[in-house]
Amino acid sequence: PSIPEGIPSDSKTNKDGVLVDEFGLPQIPAT
Amino acid sequence: MAHWFHRNPLKATAPVSFNYYGVAGSPAANKICNDLRMTRARLLEMFTDVTCTPEIMKNATDAYFSLLQGFIVSLDGTTQENKMRFMQNFKWTDTLQGNSPSAQQDAVFELVSMAFNVAIWYTKFASRLAGKENISEAEAKDVHRSLKVAAGIFKMLKEVHIPRLITPAEKGRDLEPRVLDTYLIQCQAEAQEVTIARAIELKHNATLIAALAFETAIFYQKADHTLNTLEPECSSKWRKYLQLKQHFYMAYAFCYHGQTLLASDKCGEAIRSLQEAEKCYSRAEALCKEYRQTKGPGTTAKPSEQLFFLKLGGLIKNTLEKCQRENGFIYFHKVPAEAPQLELKASYGLAEPIAFELPALSEQCTPEVYATFDLTKGAKNDKAKAKEEEVRPVKEPDLKPQKDTGCVVS
Repeated sequence: PSIPEGIPSDSKTNKDGVLVDEFGLPQIPAT
Repeated sequence: MAHWFHRNPLKATAPVSFNYYGVAGSPAANKICNDLRMTRARLLEMFTDVTCTPEIMKNATDAYFSLLQGFIVSLDGTTQENKMRFMQNFKWTDTLQGNSPSAQQDAVFELVSMAFNVAIWYTKFASRLAGKENISEAEAKDVHRSLKVAAGIFKMLKEVHIPRLITPAEKGRDLEPRVLDTYLIQCQAEAQEVTIARAIELKHNATLIAALAFETAIFYQKADHTLNTLEPECSSKWRKYLQLKQHFYMAYAFCYHGQTLLASDKCGEAIRSLQEAEKCYSRAEALCKEYRQTKGPGTTAKPSEQLFFLKLGGLIKNTLEKCQRENGFIYFHKVPAEAPQLELKASYGLAEPIAFELPALSEQCTPEVYATFDLTKGAKNDKAKAKEEEVRPVKEPDLKPQKDTGCVVS
């Protein structure tokens, strides 16, 4: 098996490649 | 937030013994029938057990469905129907139709009816959890996830399993497209409500919140319109709920859109947007009253008593006053007669259904055991059958209201 990259977390990216949380909100609030 | 979501009743069903008096011609075949009876009874118990968690529900569902599929999928290597599929009559009530059951002698009908109830359970679990005091982030995730799981079940039933039924569902029954679609859209909209509350708590930007609130309002509008050709006595109350949520989130959208407009120095337009928010909010308040007074199936939610609801009224009022003050000594803009057209597309926070997969077929259901079921040896036991066919309404556990904390989900 290949070596996993990075640390497993709740993070994922949306279709625009922005890091989002489990609710689909950006990881960093942009206020 | 206790009493935030409207919930229709669970479906009720008659007990099924799976006693096939001679048809099950081997100990292994008899064991399948016994296990079907036990796993079905256990799953039905779980629907009303307040200690049941999604993990327990999944195990109970998998245990029953892995066996039930032995009466649905082809086990003899041919493309023909499973010979056991039409062996048993199943009776189920519908969430909007009181205690008059639908019945079909078809294991696929049983599969879709039971799965439908599993989905309803997930929505009730989410509602119960959302009603807890001081809800944690992990619990908010569970609420969000449960609603998306329920949406996934409704979607799978609609696309894969209901089309396999030989007898189509009658008007107003759960398995007909209008009712099913409404449940599916409602689940997605409610999941997005959780996300909106979180976005507000985490102070995400106003554009993001306005867009998500707008799309959520549109979901509720769509769900309401889907029901508009059903009989009013079974759909009016539910529709009022969908309408009040539509106006509430439209008020949110206009309120946050107003903030975006003010931030870009369009003060006149901002005032108009906030005036529209005020209008939608008043309509939502009126609909809350109408909803409470409308008779129909389901629990009565009390959204207008929740802090999350009340806070918006204050926010609209304060933001409007701020805009009017600033317009009075900085901008001097004319307030447009027409409300701004909201054409907001949400890039974040839209809730997609979580794909629901049936468990693998039970290892007990081998072609060899299947061959020992002999339909020609079936003898009916009318006495036992008559006794078993009664459909008793589900006694659902009362949901005790708890102190309202204003829905902190971050």
